[in-house]
Amino acid sequence: MSRLPRYSAVGLLRRGVTGRRWPVVWRHRDLEPSYDVIVIGGGVHGLATAYSLAKNHGITRVAVLERAYLGSGGSGRNTAIIRSNYLTPEGVRFYDRSLKLYETLAQDLNYNVMFSQRGHLTLAHTDAALRTMRWRAEVNKLERIDSEVIGPADIAGLVPELDVSSHPRYPVLGGLFHPPGGIIRHDAVVWGYARAADALGVALHQQTEVTGIDVEAGRVRGVRTNRGSITAPVVVNCTAGWSSLVCDLAGVAVPITTYPLQAAVTEPVRPFLHTVVVSGTLHVYVSQTDRGELVFGAATDPYPSYSTRGTLEFTESVAAHVLELMPSLAPLRVLRQWAGLCDMTPDFSPIMGRTPVEGFLVDIGWGTYGFKAAPVAGETMAELIATDRVPKLIRAFDLDRFADGRLVGERGAAAVGH
Amino acid sequence: MITCPWCGSRDTSEFAYAGEGNPRPDPATASPEAWRRYLYVRRNPDGWTTELWRHRIGCGTYLRLERHRTTDEVRLARAVGGDPA
Amino acid sequence: MIIPRGGAARGDWRLPPQPAESIDRSAPVRFRWNGTTYGGFAGDTIASALAASGVRVFSRSLKYHRPRGILTADGDDPNCLVQVDDEPNVRAGHRLVRPGMAVRAQGVWPTLQVDVKALNQVVGRFLGPGFYYKTFIAPRQLWPTYERVIRRFSPGGPVPPAPPTGRYDQRVVHRDVLVVGGGPAGMAAAVGAAGGGASVLLVDEQHALGGHLRWADGSDRTRLAELRRAVAEATSIEVMTDAVVTGRYDGHWVSVLQRSVPGVVERLVKVRTQQIVVAAGLIERPYVVAGNDLPGVMLSTAVRRLINLYAVRPGARAVVLTANGEGDAAARDLDRAGVDVARVVDPRRGEDIVSIRGRGRVEAVELSDRSTVTCDLVVTATGWTAPLSLLTMSGARAAYDPVAARFFATGLPDDVLAAGGVAGAGDLDAIVEQAGAAGRESAARATAAAGRSPVAVPGLAAGAHPALFTGRTDGMVDLAEDVSAKDLKAAVAEGYNSLELVKRYTTVTMGPTQGRLEAVNAIAVVAAATGGSIAETGTTTGRPPYAPVSLGALAGRNYQPVRHSPMHAWHVAHGARPLVAGLWIRPDHYGDPAAEVRTVRSAVGIIDVTPLGKFELTGTDVPRLLELLYVNRWQKLAVGSVRYGVMCTEDGVVLDDGVTGRLAPARYLLTCTSSGAGAVEDWIALWLQTEHPDWDVRVVPVTDAYASINVAGPRSRELVSRLVEDIDLAPDAFSYMQVRTGRVAGFDDCIVWRIGFTGELSFELHVPAGHGQEVWDRLLTAGADLGVGPFGIEAQRILRLEKGHLVVGQDTDGLTQGFSAGLDWAIKLDKAEFLGQPELRWQHERGDDRQLVGLQPVDGAVLPPESSQILDGGSDGGHIAGRITSSRMSPTLGRSICLGFVSARLARPGTVVTVRLPDGRSVPAAVMPQLAHVDPDGERLRG
Repeated sequence: MSRLPRYSAVGLLRRGVTGRRWPVVWRHRDLEPSYDVIVIGGGVHGLATAYSLAKNHGITRVAVLERAYLGSGGSGRNTAIIRSNYLTPEGVRFYDRSLKLYETLAQDLNYNVMFSQRGHLTLAHTDAALRTMRWRAEVNKLERIDSEVIGPADIAGLVPELDVSSHPRYPVLGGLFHPPGGIIRHDAVVWGYARAADALGVALHQQTEVTGIDVEAGRVRGVRTNRGSITAPVVVNCTAGWSSLVCDLAGVAVPITTYPLQAAVTEPVRPFLHTVVVSGTLHVYVSQTDRGELVFGAATDPYPSYSTRGTLEFTESVAAHVLELMPSLAPLRVLRQWAGLCDMTPDFSPIMGRTPVEGFLVDIGWGTYGFKAAPVAGETMAELIATDRVPKLIRAFDLDRFADGRLVGERGAAAVGH
Repeated sequence: MITCPWCGSRDTSEFAYAGEGNPRPDPATASPEAWRRYLYVRRNPDGWTTELWRHRIGCGTYLRLERHRTTDEVRLARAVGGDPA
Repeated sequence: MIIPRGGAARGDWRLPPQPAESIDRSAPVRFRWNGTTYGGFAGDTIASALAASGVRVFSRSLKYHRPRGILTADGDDPNCLVQVDDEPNVRAGHRLVRPGMAVRAQGVWPTLQVDVKALNQVVGRFLGPGFYYKTFIAPRQLWPTYERVIRRFSPGGPVPPAPPTGRYDQRVVHRDVLVVGGGPAGMAAAVGAAGGGASVLLVDEQHALGGHLRWADGSDRTRLAELRRAVAEATSIEVMTDAVVTGRYDGHWVSVLQRSVPGVVERLVKVRTQQIVVAAGLIERPYVVAGNDLPGVMLSTAVRRLINLYAVRPGARAVVLTANGEGDAAARDLDRAGVDVARVVDPRRGEDIVSIRGRGRVEAVELSDRSTVTCDLVVTATGWTAPLSLLTMSGARAAYDPVAARFFATGLPDDVLAAGGVAGAGDLDAIVEQAGAAGRESAARATAAAGRSPVAVPGLAAGAHPALFTGRTDGMVDLAEDVSAKDLKAAVAEGYNSLELVKRYTTVTMGPTQGRLEAVNAIAVVAAATGGSIAETGTTTGRPPYAPVSLGALAGRNYQPVRHSPMHAWHVAHGARPLVAGLWIRPDHYGDPAAEVRTVRSAVGIIDVTPLGKFELTGTDVPRLLELLYVNRWQKLAVGSVRYGVMCTEDGVVLDDGVTGRLAPARYLLTCTSSGAGAVEDWIALWLQTEHPDWDVRVVPVTDAYASINVAGPRSRELVSRLVEDIDLAPDAFSYMQVRTGRVAGFDDCIVWRIGFTGELSFELHVPAGHGQEVWDRLLTAGADLGVGPFGIEAQRILRLEKGHLVVGQDTDGLTQGFSAGLDWAIKLDKAEFLGQPELRWQHERGDDRQLVGLQPVDGAVLPPESSQILDGGSDGGHIAGRITSSRMSPTLGRSICLGFVSARLARPGTVVTVRLPDGRSVPAAVMPQLAHVDPDGERLRG
């Protein structure tokens, strides 16, 4: 099974003393002519799916094809927030399974993903927002998830720097507090999954771009890449940002529009913010890393694009909104800004499962909520592939729901979406 | 920058994206599948594409324009109801 | 000279007056550093003032807490980040001293000299790159504790305790040409562009123009004076110093962060420009060799700055590693300043430094000829990095030239030119000539003179320079992030074998300098480790911001627009609790909403509904438009009639509602919700322009044009009749759902209609906005004997809930299709095409969707909060079958009343459902026969 020595403090000590190097985290492999499963996309979803196939189902003849380096897409660009305080029962159950998997992921993968469950607070500045918070809290509680609506006094206790005194334009009327939510080291999740999948025999192929998908008589046969062609009976689209373009290669039409989502980080300051703070009205969310940098995110850009260039409007707007909440942060400096691409669906829920092309599966439409779902997406997609049965947790997210008019109503809970 | 046929070259922030402008089936005769393809399915292409925008902070005209989905360059903006003479 | 051990060689390291110094010896400045008072001069930076007093250690490094001293002596010095008063992360190599400043070291405990966290050095061999990914894994429960410890090692200063007292602002500037960099190339380019007739903005990071000429030898300084004079004399050049270009964005926007603006902490200048000339010069690179981060290791430009600009002797005895002219000049400067230049080591002759030794500071250097030289200062001049960010942000590509041992930008688009050192090598004359031509060419392009021939911009040779990135021992590559060459090699060996993976794994180039000092060295180390060439391994692609920008400057004055009705001041003066509704501030209530409800039901109340979305529609095809927009019929709406309408989007979801009245044959007033007005306007324009451009319809938004007041209650007719002159208000002349125009309170062009949101006899007045306050006042005085009182939004919510009127967005959500919202009576599926029709038809056929119903908790004293869930299948959990959408205590009925969604099978009147309260209790509630709780037959309305 696993060929890798365990990461641990003892291991560090030993190698520090002997000077012996750690083995490679994942190997470079040649492209085989065929596999049992091809996973397109080397981000957390693709890697989690490959890992789950190998770990839970013993399916190891799996190739993960990544056109750049592992985790170069959304997995490396998100603001790494994990939570399960969604709006619909289907959403809540799904994301909560993911959160529970995240809680033990470091031990399961033997890689410290640094999941810091410091609490997640969504501020309500209007009655309508408070109603939505209450709605989420009630659905969460019925699913036995820790979420509750709290008032301005409790909020002030959690985040003293927040200006909760009566603000003429954005009063803090209350908030939805979700203690199990928090932040994680996103690259570590990519590397942890990659290392574990590789150890189980999965082939990770970086710098390998899928240029065509072979479909014959309504079923998938394999893919063409810049390094050669491969056949496989199952091909899974686990890309984000380009999932429409990959689906086009298989002739599958999907209800996805791609929008950039920008983020920025400040220079480090001494840690003072121990909760993730979100404001829907102000379209901003802020957390602080263990190094002390503040990480900001906001709503998606107002028009669809495949560009990941940052804009000045974003930093101006996010700065203005953050300072509405915490005016004493004015001297803090933005060090870096970036953007990732979000595949938005009409109902702010993903698209998982089968398509009209037999053997071609999708795990797409992850909008602004993909990273937090990686473990459960991997687990359920692997189950679907291995058993050919759609797991209950993802039944509501099928592609057919749009043709049937059965949309999932998550728009009120996707923090700062549209 | 987008060149509005009425107002000239203006900053993109004055305009609002209004969708892909895909063909609309006849609501009286379309099947549910066809209607929902229109409602939900998107081309979402890369490269140059035609889409609908509105000069919202401006003359309010809906424009059909060609935009490059990665460089965000815009060329050829036409008012949907017909450009000014 | 004996240098005492332990850091601060206190004493006077100030030199006699230097010809090019920028300090003002007539203006001494006293300030504090870690609690001790020091002296400097106006014009000193914090770093130079402290160095003049012999301070050698300025900070402790991020991970290992190694002592650090001046490296570059400018704003990019990674070792000189300090806290100044309440401001963290100040660049001591750039910030000028001010009297009374309190400067502190960051991230150390308890002091800079004795930093407990330096114990990290002891365990350093175990703390390789990414060591935290390999440990702290188990036991899981201890992670929060580990985290608390890790957070203590964060490098930054404390967050300011209070909002800033100073002001930040923004400025927008339009110029033909932006010249980035005010060294000799920048100045020459600016003068050239100005001479070519362009308006020019010249921006430089330093406190004065001149670039490297400021510390140059005699004859070059004369050229500096000439160039400065030429710039000053050109009236079309605006100069900004202490200003840095932070980014180039789409749409020809360039952002500049400007400090040293009187009265302003920082200013974000947004520049729209036709042409950019990048004359950003060159940044000197550190040399990667063991011990290269000890206090006492400096770059040649640091030494030249300290000696020439600040008159500071950088050390007592130096070893100089020089591979170029700047390094040679630095050796001469050191000699002139009385520093004992013990050895000059020249890689051009094959010589090299092997390692730098010392405990806490430089003490000796081991050379490639096996000798060891004692010294307290090591000066390196091993090469240059061109800051290409602005060029690559503009669309150019970076390409590596191995002969010049640096990157160049290629493929510049038409609106960018490169001038001076960033473009190539040359002596001062060549640079000034090239830059001047570039400036003239940029002016020609910017002013787009027709038929002009391009200005010939001479090329600059790439030049040659030894490729010196690392020595034969491993040193620090990224001083700010404490990442050494050994760390990078270990990361590559462990499999993180591309530049991007190495960056993310080791955090190299992710510190405050964002790669400016260290990226090229990092690329060189990774290239060697992966067996690739520098060109293959990585390029430097710039992303904004090039330099850090404060949140304050980005936010500027931070205007947040609000909308007020004309009667806003009255509401405030009369104790109205403000309600933020979108951009509007509205009166929520005046102290007692229940009493306001009673006033309306028993006498008469007035409410300011100005934010109501209002559109004037004119044209012969308006009926066709209304027929298209609304789910009900409109073709036969007579003049003087009003109808309630609901709009749905094409998926059948309720978009908005409101009443529309026909004022004249071809004149209508359409109203909608205040928060939906923008969306409705977009919607109407969309269909008119895309599908029906041939229709004779004009739409004018008049929300702000009219002040709107709803007068409601049994005495409303009496009150309104006292203000209205030419409208017959008698019940048979002006029945329910009718509209008239006429004079109100003496003002012409007013609209009056009878509608019934509150369920009482009511008249809604729309008067020209400027007269709103007066009409409001007149209503209150005229109705005093009738018991008139104002009522606010909260009372209106209660009143409408008593009548079962839905509020779009509260009693409907993003998935509520028409037949779920109690609107069966309104939806006419058999009429000609209307928006939403197909989906509504299919919803009707399915017949199984949830329903909006009236609900009353069995115990009228229980008030379920809005969004309480309705359960199906027992009080112990069960399936969610709906939720409460609106809920209030009814003053009229003396009990709680609600609206809510329930699944179709629970929607029959009389059904008792289970409501789960937030506190965990479950209570029963009954489904009512209709949505209205009070006066369901609407008799009071039609009186």
